[in-house]
Amino acid sequence: MKPLLGTLYLLGILVPEGLGYDGSLAQTRRGILEETVSPWRSLDTYSYTKYHPMEEIYQWMVQITEKYPGVVTQHFLGMTYETRPMYYLKISQPSANHKKIIWMDCGIHAREWIAPAFCQWFVKEILQNYKDNPRIGRLLRNLDFYVLPVLNIDGYVYTWTTDRLWRKSRSSHNNGTCFGTDLNRNFNVAWCSIGASKDCHELTFCGTGPVSEPETKAVSSFVESQKESIVCFLTMHSYGQLILTPYGYTKNKSSNHEELIQVGQKAANALKKKHGTNYRVGSSADILYTTSGSSRDWARDIGIPFSYTFELRDNGTYGFILPASQIQATCEETMEAVLSVLDDVYEKYWDSNSAVKMTSRAMVLGLLVSFRSVF
Amino acid sequence: ARSKPHFFNFRAGSPSALRVLAAVLEGRATVNPKKGCQVDLVFTTDHYNPEVGEEHLGKCSARVFFRNQKPRPAINVTCTRLIEKNKRQEEDYLLYKHMKQLKTPLDVTSIPDSHGHIDPSLKPIWDLAFLGSSYVMWEKTTQFLHYYMAQISSVNQWKTNDDTIDFDYTVLLHEFSTQEIIPCRIHLGWYPGKPLKVKYHCQELQTPEEASGTEEGSAVAPTELNNF
Repeated sequence: MKPLLGTLYLLGILVPEGLGYDGSLAQTRRGILEETVSPWRSLDTYSYTKYHPMEEIYQWMVQITEKYPGVVTQHFLGMTYETRPMYYLKISQPSANHKKIIWMDCGIHAREWIAPAFCQWFVKEILQNYKDNPRIGRLLRNLDFYVLPVLNIDGYVYTWTTDRLWRKSRSSHNNGTCFGTDLNRNFNVAWCSIGASKDCHELTFCGTGPVSEPETKAVSSFVESQKESIVCFLTMHSYGQLILTPYGYTKNKSSNHEELIQVGQKAANALKKKHGTNYRVGSSADILYTTSGSSRDWARDIGIPFSYTFELRDNGTYGFILPASQIQATCEETMEAVLSVLDDVYEKYWDSNSAVKMTSRAMVLGLLVSFRSVF
Repeated sequence: ARSKPHFFNFRAGSPSALRVLAAVLEGRATVNPKKGCQVDLVFTTDHYNPEVGEEHLGKCSARVFFRNQKPRPAINVTCTRLIEKNKRQEEDYLLYKHMKQLKTPLDVTSIPDSHGHIDPSLKPIWDLAFLGSSYVMWEKTTQFLHYYMAQISSVNQWKTNDDTIDFDYTVLLHEFSTQEIIPCRIHLGWYPGKPLKVKYHCQELQTPEEASGTEEGSAVAPTELNNF
């Protein structure tokens, strides 16, 4: 597995530059890289309070996996439109227990740089503290974390090389006259029915069909395959300072809406205690705007109970171009909010005897099957 | 509520006294399908510049009227507990002096840069640009469209004409409901204490609409800049 991952990683770095979709793009990329790649070599000097280009994030993932073997593994999810590899990190303590899964993705919209910064911060916090911090320790005993630091990798790279305010992916449409699908309008839930556009020029372009984009396909196939175990689906965005519950495609509420609001409000309160930042909580259709095809709504509708979109700092003062000087405070307060959600999720699934029930059920079934095979 | 700080900032005409929305305390909207939408609000505002230490929460009450979904809402707003006039004038004048000392042509592309950093010497440019953009954003706001200033993408001209700061720049506005980025070329003239003069042109997909209303009270209506 490791040699294969290594090769794929190398391909991810080399292929876009080798193919040179746009010769000048490859040049600009190299130029920017020379200016911005820091002389960091070891994880000890990696700065979590700076924004990192994709090449550095790929390197960070490898180094994190090497530094915490046995707890972190890197997994291949799929390829982007421009053939870059998508990797998620699985944080899991070996255990006899059957674990539930917490999914977190960042950077589905390219310009929302604070989101990938938070995903990296989150991973760092969990790994640096799970041994000494009882709160995090107990979460890791029964929960696995799957973290996708950058979902829209092509878009993210584009914001570093060409257009800081790019939002969509970089797929080509209309004979190369139009670029990018809004990946958060591309999921298979009420696809393109409302709050999205069929015009490829627009920023909320829903794609050529539900799950038409390779990035959407990679995430949804994987999440679908694990849906029995995933209890929490968190997707990180900016900006707006909001904790959003389903749905965006309708004003109707999910069956567990009250609970989602309660847990969300508790998280917002915990967040505010840290640095005084105000977050609002509500369904997307109520407090933001209507959207269809969002990952959060899709996750809820395939049965994942706790599904939230976080819109991080700020409120419009700097918007997408949040100063790096605010990364630390934003990540600290968001960490409090996420941990609050995780505590509630943990208490719901682990303090009840649901785990015990599941194992006994499995055991009984197993016995029945073996009896039948005897006869 | 977000359109009020834009309007308020423009009318105050003071880059050192910029305000942002802090919290909405009360709100009531009345919709008349034939006429339009009226919103009455009580809200607090905060200093735009967080470095300004004091917790100077202003309190405002406002009435906003959108005529039949048209832009440029008619706004009546009054605020209390803000910076007193003398202090504001003093700070504006210091800002102005600082701006006059900036070496031209300005060797700068985007403000802020991709990492959100603004060189302290260029902060007054950002503040003044924000002031001009406030006017543009207010003019374009409707019930359904609201704007934020994302970035100054270029500074085309920065000079002093007589004593007025003459500033020609391109700003990228972010419209929230469509998520679009709209480039606007803005040309403004500013002198402390005098009303801001703004001329602009935005690159857009839709054609501009007729306005909902005109300015209230004693504020001077924006005029074409004569010396351009």
